[in-house]
Amino acid sequence: MNTVSPYILLSAILFSMGVIGFLTRRNAIMIFMSVELMLNSANLAFVAFAHQWGQLDGQMFVFFVMAVAAAEVAVGLALIVTVFRSKKSANVDDLHQLKG
Amino acid sequence: MTSELIVFIVLAIISVLAAVGLLSSRNAVYAALFLILNFATVAVLYLMLNAPFLAIIQISVYAGAIMVLFLFVIMLLGAERLNQAAPQPGLRWQRPLAIGLGALLLIQAAYVFITRFNSTTVAPNLIQAGPMEIGLKLFGPYLLPFEVTSILLLVAIIGAVVLTREK
Amino acid sequence: MFGTQFNPSDLLAVAPEIGLTFWAFFILSLDFLKLPQLNRRVLGMLSAIGVLVVMVLATVLAPPADKGAVLLGGMIRHDLYAYVFDAVFIVAGALTCLLSIDFKPVRAGGEFFALVILATMGMCLMASANDIILLFLATETSSMALYLLAGFMRDTPRSAEAGMKYFIFGAVSSTIMLYGLSLVYGLSGQTGYEKIAAALTAPESPHMVGVFALLLVMIGFAFKTTAVPFHFWAPDVYDGAPTPVTGFISTASKAAGFAIMIRFLLYAFSPLAPTPATQVWVAMMQPVAILTMFLGNLLAITQTSVKRMLAYSSIAQAGYIMIGVTALAYAASRGEVNGAEPNAIAGVIFYIATYMFTNIGAFAIVGLVAQRAGGDNLKDFSGLARRSPYLALAMVAVLLSLTGAPPLVGFVGKLFLFRSAVDENLIGLVVVGVINVLISVFYYLGVVRAMYVERSPNESRPFPIPAVTGWVVLITSAAVLIITLVSTPFWDLALAAAKSLQTILN
Repeated sequence: MNTVSPYILLSAILFSMGVIGFLTRRNAIMIFMSVELMLNSANLAFVAFAHQWGQLDGQMFVFFVMAVAAAEVAVGLALIVTVFRSKKSANVDDLHQLKG
Repeated sequence: MTSELIVFIVLAIISVLAAVGLLSSRNAVYAALFLILNFATVAVLYLMLNAPFLAIIQISVYAGAIMVLFLFVIMLLGAERLNQAAPQPGLRWQRPLAIGLGALLLIQAAYVFITRFNSTTVAPNLIQAGPMEIGLKLFGPYLLPFEVTSILLLVAIIGAVVLTREK
Repeated sequence: MFGTQFNPSDLLAVAPEIGLTFWAFFILSLDFLKLPQLNRRVLGMLSAIGVLVVMVLATVLAPPADKGAVLLGGMIRHDLYAYVFDAVFIVAGALTCLLSIDFKPVRAGGEFFALVILATMGMCLMASANDIILLFLATETSSMALYLLAGFMRDTPRSAEAGMKYFIFGAVSSTIMLYGLSLVYGLSGQTGYEKIAAALTAPESPHMVGVFALLLVMIGFAFKTTAVPFHFWAPDVYDGAPTPVTGFISTASKAAGFAIMIRFLLYAFSPLAPTPATQVWVAMMQPVAILTMFLGNLLAITQTSVKRMLAYSSIAQAGYIMIGVTALAYAASRGEVNGAEPNAIAGVIFYIATYMFTNIGAFAIVGLVAQRAGGDNLKDFSGLARRSPYLALAMVAVLLSLTGAPPLVGFVGKLFLFRSAVDENLIGLVVVGVINVLISVFYYLGVVRAMYVERSPNESRPFPIPAVTGWVVLITSAAVLIITLVSTPFWDLALAAAKSLQTILN
C-alpha cells in the first residue's frame, strides 16, 4: 500500500470505540481500559503519519506517550485501589459523596 | 489486492473485534485480555509501518507491564465481576447519547480521512527506525522530553507508594 | 537541533525547572534522615523558601533574552512570557507549601511537598513549551502530580473521590487532545509550533482536517482552564481536594492552561495567516467566555458551602480571563500585533497573576474556618468578624477584589480585560461581563454579610490562627493591596512579557 489512509481509518474506529466505552461503562477499571484503547489508537495514528512523512518524529512521540501511559496506569490504579478500599466498589455511580 | 492489504484487513478485523469484546465484556479479566489482543495486533501493524522498535515496546511495555498491572489490580480487588445493575434513572439517556456521539465522531473522522488523506502518498525513502536511530534521536533533539519523562515516572512512583502504603 | 554541538549554556533556559527538580529531590531525600527536627513545618518552610530561591537564581543566572530564543532542539522558547508565568507558578507553589503546614487533614510528609514542587515544575515547562511533544509531556507531568495531590487525603472518601474524578476526566481529555495532536502532526509532518503553522497555512493543506484537529486539541485546553462545557469536573474536585491543593489547582493549574493555550494558538494556529482552523478558534472564544461566566456565576449563587461557591466562582473567573483571550484573538486576526494584541495578552497575564494571590488567600481563609468551625458552610462563617476581626477583614479584601469592586486589584484587572475587549468592538461581551460582575456581588457579599451581620453562639470562643497560615493570609491580602496601590510596574512587566510573545508573529 502506498497510502496510510487505511491505518488512519482503523485508528479513528478504535478511538471512537474507546470514546463509546468511556461514556457507557460504569466501572472505573473499565473506563480506564477504554482510555488505554484511545491512547493506543492515537499511537497508531502517529506511527502511520510518521511512515507517511518518512520521519522518525512521530515514532518518538509514541515512545513518550508509552511512558506517559505507564505513569498514568500506576497513578490511576493507585487511585482506584484507594477508592475501592473505602467503598468496596469500583463503580463510578458509587462516587456520590460529591454531588455533581 | 496486495498481500500487505490482505494482512492489514485481517489484523484490522481482529483488532476491531477485540475492541468490541472489550466494550461488551461482563468480566473485567476478559476485558483486559481482549485489550491485550488489541495491543498485539497493533504491534504487528507497527511492524508493517516500519516501526520495529515500537512494535517490541508495544508488546513488552503495553501488553506486558501495563496490562499485567491491570490484571493484578483487578484480581487484587476481586473486582472481575462487573455488576450489571440497571443504570440510574438520571443516566438512562447516557447510553444512546454516548453511542450517538461515538458514531458522529466516527462518521466525521471517516469523512475527513477518506476525502482528504487518500491522495497523500507515503514518502519514498524508507527510514531506519531501529533502537540505534531512536536512541540517537532520544539523546539528541529529544533530550529535554526524555528527562521530563523520567520526572513524570518519578511522580507516578511517589504517588503509587503514598496512596497505597499501609498506615 | 543540537546533538552534534550541544551547548551546555542552553540548559540555563530551563534553569527554573532544573532548580525545582533538584529541590524536590532534596525535600524527598530529607525524609530518609528521619530526624525529629524535620517535621512538616520545617519541610514546608524549606520547600517554600527553596522554590523562591530557585526563582531568584533563575532571574540572576538566566534572564530571558529580549526576543526570546528557541532552544534545546526547538522544544522550548525562553522568553519573558514564560518567565513571568514561571514566577506566578512558583509563588503559588510556595504559598501552597506554606498553607499545607497547618492544614492538619493532610498528613504532609516530604512526598506532599515534593509533589507540589514537581507540579510547579511541570507548569513552568508548559509555559515555555514550543513543541507539541513537550506540550503533551509537560501537561501530563503537572496533571499527574495534581491528581495525586487532589487525592492525597486517602483516608477521607471525599478526597479519594476527588482524585479519582480528576484523574478519569483528566486522562480522557488529555487523550482526546493527544489524538488531535496526532492529526496536527499528520497534517504538517512537524512538531515545532512555527513549522506547524507554516505547513498548515499552505494552500494544499486539507483545512477541514485542521479544524477537526484543532477542536480535539481545544478539549484538552478547555479541561485545564475549566471552560464550559469541560468545566463539570471542577466543582467536585475543588470541593473534595485538600483546601491548599484546591487553591493551587484553581490558580496555578488554570494559569498554566491559559499560558500554554495562548502560545500554542498564536504560534501553531496563527491568526495572521487565516485558515478555517484559526477562524474557528477565534470565533469560538467569545461564546465560550460568555457561557463560562454565566454558568460559573449562576451556579455559585445556589451553593451553601463556601468552598463549593468559590469553586464555581473560579469557573466564572476563567470566563473573565477568556474575555481577554477573545480580545487578543480578534486583535491578532486584525494583524494588530504591536498595539492591541500585546495589550490584551498583558491584561490576561495581569489578571491571572492578581487572581492567583486573591484566590489562594480566599481558600486559605476557607480552609482555616473549616478546621476551626468544623465545616465550610455559610453558617460556619457567621460572626467571624467578632471572633477574628483581622481574618474577616482579609476575607472582605479578597472577596471584594474577586468581585471587582473598585479600587481593588480585581477591579483594575477587569478594567484591563474589558478595555481590550472594547478596543476590539466587543461591546456585547463587555456588557455580559459587567452583568456577571453584578451577579457575583450577590454571593460574594453573602459571605461578608454572614461574617459581619449574622450572629453565632460561638462568638465568644477564641479563634486562634496558626502562625504560618496567618502569614499566608497576610501576604496574599497585602499583595492585593500593594498591587492595587502600585499597579504600574506590574502592568509594565505584563506588557513586556506580552510583547516577548508576539515578536514571533512579525
